[in-house]
Order: sequence, then structure tokens, then C-alpha cells
Amino acid sequence: MRREHSTKAGSVLVWTVLVIGILSLIAMETVRLVTAKYQNALQTSTWQEALLAAESGIDLAIVELRKSLYPQPNHAWDGWSNPPGNQVTGYELTTVPNAGLSGTPMTIEANVDAPSQLIDPTNSWQYYRIRTVGTIPITGPARTSDNPQDTKLRRLSLRWERFTNGILTAHSLDAPQVSRRIEAIVRPISAFDQAIMSVGVVDLTNQNIVVDSYDSTDPTKSTNGLYDPAKRQENGDIATDGQLIEAGNAQIYGDVATNAGTVSGAANITGIERTDFYQEPIPIGAPSWADSSPGSINGPTTLNAVATKGSVASRYTFSSISLSGNKTLTLAGNPNGSQTYIEIYVIGDMSVTGTGQIVVQPGVTATIYFAGNVDISGNGVLNSNNQPGDLMLYGIQPPTNSSEHVSIGGNSQISASIYAPGHDVTVNGGGTNGHVYGSIVGKTVTMTGVSNLHYDEKLGSTGAINNYKIVSWFEDNR
Amino acid sequence: MVTAFHRRSLPKTQGGFAISELIVSTSIFCSISLGLLMGFTALERNYAATSDFSLNHADEMRISDYMALDLRRAVSVQAAQNDTTIYIPAYYDQTGNPQTPTLDGQGGVFYGASGSSVRIHYYLMAGTIYRQQDNAPALPLAVNVQDFTFDVTDAGKVVTTRITFNPTFNSGGASAAATTATAFYNTTLLRNSRTDIQSSVY
Repeated sequence: MRREHSTKAGSVLVWTVLVIGILSLIAMETVRLVTAKYQNALQTSTWQEALLAAESGIDLAIVELRKSLYPQPNHAWDGWSNPPGNQVTGYELTTVPNAGLSGTPMTIEANVDAPSQLIDPTNSWQYYRIRTVGTIPITGPARTSDNPQDTKLRRLSLRWERFTNGILTAHSLDAPQVSRRIEAIVRPISAFDQAIMSVGVVDLTNQNIVVDSYDSTDPTKSTNGLYDPAKRQENGDIATDGQLIEAGNAQIYGDVATNAGTVSGAANITGIERTDFYQEPIPIGAPSWADSSPGSINGPTTLNAVATKGSVASRYTFSSISLSGNKTLTLAGNPNGSQTYIEIYVIGDMSVTGTGQIVVQPGVTATIYFAGNVDISGNGVLNSNNQPGDLMLYGIQPPTNSSEHVSIGGNSQISASIYAPGHDVTVNGGGTNGHVYGSIVGKTVTMTGVSNLHYDEKLGSTGAINNYKIVSWFEDNR
Repeated sequence: MVTAFHRRSLPKTQGGFAISELIVSTSIFCSISLGLLMGFTALERNYAATSDFSLNHADEMRISDYMALDLRRAVSVQAAQNDTTIYIPAYYDQTGNPQTPTLDGQGGVFYGASGSSVRIHYYLMAGTIYRQQDNAPALPLAVNVQDFTFDVTDAGKVVTTRITFNPTFNSGGASAAATTATAFYNTTLLRNSRTDIQSSVY
């Protein structure tokens, strides 16, 4: 009996071992498959996260570039080794804790430089080159994928990192990671990128209002550099950071855009309606060159613009300007009409009424900064060049809770560009002859009566820089 | 005698039970063996199908990632089923190093000579999906993928890739629904303005 028991026990043991062995083999193969799959998924997601890190670096750089547009102190490039200049490289290393998979840190290196080849000769605007490397540690083992094609695509840095300070130079690693590198080129965007841009409500109150565009530099889109209704373009875009555009059934030859808002009276809009617009307008600060004891202008005055291109403009500071009763402020240039530049800073209000007038003589490019209210009516402003880029009005950002305004009206036409994101801007109709050639940026913008706004597309590459836009993007996957 | 008779008849009884036992046990053994065989066969086929699915899925991810890499930096796209061509900026010079771009006078930039670009061609041929850059030797991205189909839908600012294959879980072949269920989608935002159509992202 004992011998029989022994034989049965041995048989059971063999079967048990056999079954356990088979089950173990199945389990091992399953674990191997699952592990390889998990590893592949982990490396793939880490690879994708590294791209997010690199693109975040571009955003970081653009934030600093935008900060540099603000009045001082703007703290742009704080923490960077060098502000970017011609051939000078700025460099930043940022580590975002717990940003990656399984709570791993995300590291972003960003280099910004300003090559001289990227200066636009027409307006001297500098394009910037941003190079970023995003890095995420691999939380799994330092093991390559089973498939060599995966290794060629996803360049994991298991023992060596191929980029050092953004340059393709290898260095050894203590722990595996993934790095991806992107190069983007950004170009400046003008403050006058739209026909009308408002922080708040845009109100076009009359269906006879026309907003359209032309390009004074293109003879197919203008005649002798002037607006020609026969060559009308449809880039008279209107945008608001707010939620409302009261289009008033005006004839708008362009797009309209709100910040998740609505457009009422949109029957005569030729372009598209967007609801995804937001562009923070850069506030204008008081000029640093302001005269400490300025006078005011109340009578006939001539200011000479003698500065030529490439030199500092002729500069004047006044406490206020008030013109009426045949009193004229003349901005005089060279008698031969060659290009000269003048900048005027008005600390207080500016008023032109009745037969008073501001005359910009031929060849003069005038920039007027104002801190108070602006009221232009009557004979208004005569811009002899008829180019809105030659008369630019910039409203200094008023204090918080302060209410300032710009009111433009008059008997006929005005060629000017107005950037006053802290002022309520009103364009009062001058009858059927009321035409404004240029661009308007305001806290709110209201057009009344019959008035027409013709946006000169050339303004998109002149004036103050308000933003930066990516014009080229490339991932360097060497 | 009685004792002897009883002793002789006992083995007969025992022998009858042995035959029954043999039949029953053989039947049970055959049933269990058949069950095990069928089970192992099914397990093996399922394992093969699962492995195939897993490998194909990894292939889908790789092909999709490759195409997304090029689409993100594309300036032009010619989409067609199993044959798509993407043009990217000529970022590298002839030595393989990055070069500084040049302003195009229209608010943009270009790398290398004006109008130049690098052609990336994705195509399926003889059961292999290739990626070919200009006239360089084609790089096989996935092999044994004769059942793969990749569709590229060009919507201007974004391009969507859809990759499918025929799973092998069913010996009768994959149904249309099963093939559709393997679809791997990737919608990519093109970062650059395109040269072939009017499209600007930023």
C-alpha cells in the first residue's frame, strides 16, 4: 500500500510540475509581450511630451519678445544670459517640475538670436530666430525598442545626448532621456494690422458706412499710391478683444472677429466671422525724451522736421495744443519734399476746431504722442502726403479708471493712423465726403454718421510693433 | 470450494469494472485531450493574432509619427491613398548643417535657394511602407504590411492621417467593421504657411 501511494504521489508531482511549467511559459511570454508593448507606449508618449516641451520653449521666447515691447521697466529677458541682439545669443534653461509622464520634470532650453540677415530692409524690423530643445527623462529602463525603425524615428538618448546647449554636440548621460529640437522664425506684427481693432465694443452705427482696404505700395490695388474704389480690396478687417461688434449693416469688405462674442447687423460683411480673436494691445508709455518744462501751442506755429532717415527724429514736447480761428500748426519739412521725421509729445489735451488746422507738409513723417483727450473737427488735419503711415497718433496709456477719448470729425478727409488702446475713439461722419484713410485701434471704437474707413495694407508693416508671429517652424530631427 | 469459487469469481468482477473504467477513462482522456488540443490551438491562434495586432499597432504608431513629423513642418502636401508626398523647407545645407533663412520680402522666410524644398515621399510597395527623402534610398518604415492602408485627408491648415490593417482574429478574414476598428488617426496642425494653397495658421 505504501508503494502504491508513492507511485501516485510521483505521478501527481510530475503532472503538477508539467502544468506549472507550461503555465509559467505562457505567463513569461505574456509578460514579455506586455512589457515590450508598455515600453513602446512609454517611449512613444515620452517622445511626444518632449515635443510639447520644445514648443513651450518657443512660447517662452515669444513671451519675452512681447514683454520687450512694453514700456520700461518691462523685465524682458530677466533671467536670460543676454538679451538677443545681432548675432548675440540669449539662453534660458527652465525646468518645469512634475510636468512629464509619471511626475518627471520637463526641461526646456531656449536660445534666441537676431541674425543680421533677418532684418527687413524696408522698415528695419528685426526677425528673431528661436531654437529650443525640450527634454523629458525616460522613466523605464535604458532599452531600445524591439523594432529598429522605431529607433530611427524616436531618437532616444539612452547613453548619449546629441544636443548640448542647443547645438548638435553629443555628451554622455547618467540617465536615459528624450530630446527634441525646434527652430522657429518670428516676425514683428504692426499695431495697425487691422482696419479697426478695439479692446471693447466696436459700434458702426450706420449702414452707409464703408470699411475696405487698398495697398498704397501696389499699383494694382491703388492708383498713384492713393485709394481707388475701383481697386478696392477686401482686407478691411475689424476685430475686438470684447464680445460685441455692432456692425450696423455697414458695408465691411473684410473679416470680423470677436473674442467668443457676437456680430450684430452683419448682413453686408464680405469676409468671414471668427470668434477666436484675442490680441492684447501693447500700451504706449510716455517718451523718454520728453522736455521737462514744455510750453503749449495756442496760435500759429511752425515746427521744423529736419531729421532724415536713420537719424533721431526732430522732437518737441508741449503741455497742450489748442487750435481754432485760422490758427495753424505747420509741420514743415524740406522745401524739396524729401523725407524728414518729426515726433511730438503732447502731455495734455489736443484740440483742433473750426478753421484751426494741423498741416503736415510734403515729405514729413509725423508721429504724435498724446496723453490727454484729442478732439479734431472743422478743418481738422491736412496730411499733404495723403499717406496714413506719415501721420501716426499714439495715445499714452491713461491711468486705470481714467476716461480719455479721441474724437475725429471734420469737413472732409483725414489720412492718419490712430493707436490708442486706452482711449475711446469716435469717428464722426463728415457727410458723403467723410473719408478716413488709415487704421484705428481704440479702447472702444464708434463710427457715426456717414463715414468711410479705407485701410492701407501697407500699415501692416509700419508703425509700432505690437506682437510677434511665427513665420517658419522646423523640427531638427538629426 | 466455496472459498475457491469466490476467489475465482472476484477477478471476473474486477475485470468487468476495468473494461468500463478503461472505456470511461479513455473517453474522458480523449475528451480532455481534444479539449486541450482545441484549447491550445485556439490559444496559439489567439496568441498569433494578438502578437500580429500588437506589432501592426506599433507599425501604425510609427508610420503615423513619421508622417506627423513631416506634416508639422510641411509647406506643401499632395495627399493620396498609400502614396503621399510632403514638401518641407530645405533646412539643412549640403553638409547636413542648419542654415540661416532669408527673408522673402512678403513677410516670410525661406531656407536655401528661393523656392527650394525637400520632397518626402511615403508609399506602400510590395508589402512595405517606405519613406523616401528626395532621391536618397527609401527607408522602410514597416515591413509585411501588405494589408495596411493609409489615407491622408488634406484640410488645408490641418491634415489627418488614417491607417488601418486587417486583423487576423477571424480565420475567415477580417470583416470591414474589424478593419475599421483598427484605424489609427492623427490630425496634425501644419505650422508653416503653405506654398501650394492659401493657408496661414498663425
